[in-house]
Amino acid sequence: MPLVIFVDDSETALASTRMVTNSMPIEVKQYTEAQVALAEIKAGMTPDLIITDLNMPVMNGFEFLKELRGVPATKRTPTLMLTTETKPELKQQGKALGLTGWIVKPFNPAQLKQAITRVLRLPA
Amino acid sequence: MMMLDSIDELLVHIKEVQLDVIELSNESLMKMSSFMEKNGLEIDEDISTALQYQDIVTQQLNASIEAIDSMKKSIEIFSHAFKSDEGLANESLAKLQEKLTATLQEAKDKKSRFSGKHAPEHAEDEIEFF
Repeated sequence: MPLVIFVDDSETALASTRMVTNSMPIEVKQYTEAQVALAEIKAGMTPDLIITDLNMPVMNGFEFLKELRGVPATKRTPTLMLTTETKPELKQQGKALGLTGWIVKPFNPAQLKQAITRVLRLPA
Repeated sequence: MMMLDSIDELLVHIKEVQLDVIELSNESLMKMSSFMEKNGLEIDEDISTALQYQDIVTQQLNASIEAIDSMKKSIEIFSHAFKSDEGLANESLAKLQEKLTATLQEAKDKKSRFSGKHAPEHAEDEIEFF
């Protein structure tokens, strides 16, 4: 099963995504700190999709994304930003860093499922 | 300067209340979500939105806590300048006003930034693929 990792410092946000992905044919790992996820990736974890928050303490979503692009295993891994931020200039910044897409919170469960299905090319 | 001490105490109190609200709202929604997960209950859009509002509440309160910390620091600097040289008070007061205005503007900006789809102007924002 494809591995999807979620990174968000909010436990309730992670719980919301967990309840959406429970019924999907994917393996899910969740992290409240980007640096912990990054360490596991550097240690050999190879996610098929990364979904990350932007505003997080210690390492924010953009810093995480930059680090991911520097690791051969995740250089091209599809990555979605899941955030409350809506500023077009931030979206542009994400796009320039190689982000796959931008999801505004609060997300619609059906649309999050569709986005994951689309990126991973899962059967609809 | 008694007045500034009172303001400082009030800010400390507001910050403590906000930290409590963050903790309690997180605990409350985590209990609700773990009940749902344990019982295999399906999540619909309304429940999902309700759970995600806690994240927005936390971000908003953290942004206002940052503003409080910034205000406290500015008041502390002013208070120190006033105590060491009253002649500098007018100049320090102008700087304090400037810093408080900047803090307020930043806090307002973050309120808008951290509202996500809760903000009416972004209610239609969903998913954008690049």
